[in-house]
Amino acid sequence: MRLRHQLFVLLASVCVSGLAYAATQWVMQGKQSTLTFQAVQAGAPFEGKFEKFDADIRFDPSDIAGSRFEVKIELASVNTQDSERDGILKGPDLFAVEQWPIATYVAERFEHRGGAKFSAHGKLTLRGVTRDVPIEFTFETNNTGAWLKGTGKLKRLDFGVGQGEWKDTSGVANEVLVKYALLLTKS
Amino acid sequence: MQIKNTETKYGAIAQLFHWAIVALVITQFVLAQRADNLPRPSLALLSTLALHKSIGITILMLVVLRLVWRWLNPVPPVPPGTPRWQQLAARVSHAALYALLIAMPLFGWAMSSARNFPVSWFGLFTLPDFVKPGEDAYRFFHEGHEILSKVLFFLALVHIAAALKHHFIDRDDVLMRMLPWNRKVRSEH
Repeated sequence: MRLRHQLFVLLASVCVSGLAYAATQWVMQGKQSTLTFQAVQAGAPFEGKFEKFDADIRFDPSDIAGSRFEVKIELASVNTQDSERDGILKGPDLFAVEQWPIATYVAERFEHRGGAKFSAHGKLTLRGVTRDVPIEFTFETNNTGAWLKGTGKLKRLDFGVGQGEWKDTSGVANEVLVKYALLLTKS
Repeated sequence: MQIKNTETKYGAIAQLFHWAIVALVITQFVLAQRADNLPRPSLALLSTLALHKSIGITILMLVVLRLVWRWLNPVPPVPPGTPRWQQLAARVSHAALYALLIAMPLFGWAMSSARNFPVSWFGLFTLPDFVKPGEDAYRFFHEGHEILSKVLFFLALVHIAAALKHHFIDRDDVLMRMLPWNRKVRSEH
């Protein structure tokens, strides 16, 4: 009897702790979701995007402690609407996609900024280098799912994106703005 | 020297516009030539083309201002006795030069937009893109930019040849009116 009681308590606590980590698991809709970046080249900003990426989003505005983002970006899917520039980006001096094909962003610490606004302290691994990259985003749910939209800023040279002459920041600025809009549905 | 044009001479403003644009257009040809010989992709090419674009937009702005000035301040009349065909040729070639000086930067701007390389004016501001990125659009504007540059080169030669002809053969003051110093027109006829 005592054992059964203990077992029940154990089970119950597992369930409760499970509930505490029951932040909703979302499924990203690849077709509607976008991941873009804005960089400054020779003084003029231009936009590019990644065609292939996947975001594993576990998020609940009322349970940010149990929330987690894990985004994988296929760097060779970069598209800046100029094949020559895309070639440089994929090449050894910039992303070096042959050696490091995937960039990963993982966030486990979130803050509620009021309303639909949140921030996350995540880490980006790019070109074999892992650095903190904080992001700001909004999370808005509707009948069918949710939109997660936001931005993050990073310095490309922190990750070694830009070797040789591309280290020069007068040609290509160090700061890069990343923008994303993810359409999420409940799994 | 007069600020404004007179009956016999271009004023300081008109001359400044003319010679500044001459200097910038020559710079553009030099930069374009240099860009053709640089390895691509390279940082040197990127910065050379950035300068080429900034100067191109400067030319566009100067030509617009120059046309406004020309409209406010009519140019000296052609020397008396100039044959009709020469008057017409001068009119047509001047109009063509202005048109080229406007069209060339516009084509360059469009061709940058077509490759999603927005144009910055010396890093101070970025121009809007009126053309959507696309390879066909890029090829069209690139080709156009190059053809226009050849036409401009040819017309500039005709323009120079005509000025020299006026000066050395007709011995009139047509060239001198666009130069800052004064010289008496040789009166041999």
